[in-house]
Amino acid sequence: MLVSVPALGGLLTTGCSDTFRPPTVRSGLIGAADVLTMSTSRWLQRDQPLAREFGREHIAPEFPTWGQTNPDDERYQQHVSEQFRHWALPVGGLVQQPRSFSLADIKALPARTQITAHVCEQGWSAIAEWTGAPLSLLLEAAGGVKPEARYVVFHGVDRWYESIDMFEVVHPQTILAYGLNGEELPVGNGAPLRLRVERQCGYKNIKFIQSIEVVDSLAGIRRGTGGLSSDFGFHWFGGV
Amino acid sequence: MGAPSAPKVVDSSAVASTTAEPAPSEARRWVALHSYNVRICHWINVIAGGYLLLSGIHIFLDFPELYWGHTGYQGYPAIFRLSDWGLSWDEAGELGNRMWGRNYHFTSAWVFLINGVVYAVWSAWTGHFRERLWPARDELRASSLSAEVRDHFRWSSPARTAATRYGTLQKLSYSFMVFVFVPLMLLTGLAQAPAFAAAWPWLLDLFGGRQTARTLHTIGTVVFVLFVVVHVLEVLLAGAVNRSRAMVTGRFRVPEEAQ
Repeated sequence: MLVSVPALGGLLTTGCSDTFRPPTVRSGLIGAADVLTMSTSRWLQRDQPLAREFGREHIAPEFPTWGQTNPDDERYQQHVSEQFRHWALPVGGLVQQPRSFSLADIKALPARTQITAHVCEQGWSAIAEWTGAPLSLLLEAAGGVKPEARYVVFHGVDRWYESIDMFEVVHPQTILAYGLNGEELPVGNGAPLRLRVERQCGYKNIKFIQSIEVVDSLAGIRRGTGGLSSDFGFHWFGGV
Repeated sequence: MGAPSAPKVVDSSAVASTTAEPAPSEARRWVALHSYNVRICHWINVIAGGYLLLSGIHIFLDFPELYWGHTGYQGYPAIFRLSDWGLSWDEAGELGNRMWGRNYHFTSAWVFLINGVVYAVWSAWTGHFRERLWPARDELRASSLSAEVRDHFRWSSPARTAATRYGTLQKLSYSFMVFVFVPLMLLTGLAQAPAFAAAWPWLLDLFGGRQTARTLHTIGTVVFVLFVVVHVLEVLLAGAVNRSRAMVTGRFRVPEEAQ
């Protein structure tokens, strides 16, 4: 995996300290605990283990819809009514060839299917089968990332946005899912495209993705914490 | 296992008196009961444990149902629902703030863990575990245990108010908390975290799933509350002022009537 995306793999070694620290460290003991939690997790994950994958018999009878389930957004509803035929995903920022992907373009990339447990930070969990394009392959299709790239930012419908670092970007299970349990991803679960970042809690798995931006710093984006949930006060690293 | 070491007499006149003469009764009244390590770690534990409990309750109230296995969500067969006990989902959600809860739970967990490691290393190194916390073989005999249980259910017991080492039941409950309860709470906590479950997949196998770990973690919270209630009650019965002072200053006044 790392060999197939040398531009991404190189960053794992050059941007080492980013791997162990969140982009912004909160003040006081909470910030110290954040750094301890993230660096401990990442040290234990230094060989990039996969999150557990389950057999089909473990798939939950239904997958919950939670939080934002049907965005009240005119343009989005237009795409829903057109079955996302005219929907397109701009991928920009620090990629070699910024471009747009139609849903068909994304589905044409080599797909990965994984049966994993979605772990919501609220307390619930459910096992489902996700099908999608590995994020690293999508970035490669945009010419790969530039050497200074450190984070990938996902912009969703409404004010939702989220970001992950290169350690998660290069992970094989980090996919942009368009399928849930063998069907098209339903609107309630983030159609047409949602992020699966299996080693972090539900709130990092942003739904209704509209655009992707590769950056070297999160400082200039919105409130600078790297996501709407971390703007609220959740820890940017959602591993626990 | 040798006899537990007797607490040191701190009065200097008693220490100087190495002859066979009995020490003056005044000198026998104060003993050094708790070491620095025990006292400092105890009070850090009170703060970290208090925050762990409060923040844990906040996290639970934002999803007040428990399940068994890997899967559990609203609508899935639950083994416990707070709504069955008179507090609806919405009412519980009003009381709980999981964002505050998560931030303070993980922060106080680190404080608790680091404090616990300091305590454990010190206690293993100095023999505190072996000499004061771990019950001796003869203490575990049925006759000795039943005598202690009988004594325990008397409200006023000179043996309790004058004790300068832990009773067998006390040793057993402290040892359980240190060597069984805390490790299990740590592991059931980590099993719920996707980052740790990915790195250590045996955590999920050990408990049979994330929801099982969450349920055991919640049962553990009840055990913790019971421990604290009994612990505080015992302190009150054994001399609230004298015992609390000993956990602050280290010095314990042996009551007159017990000498």
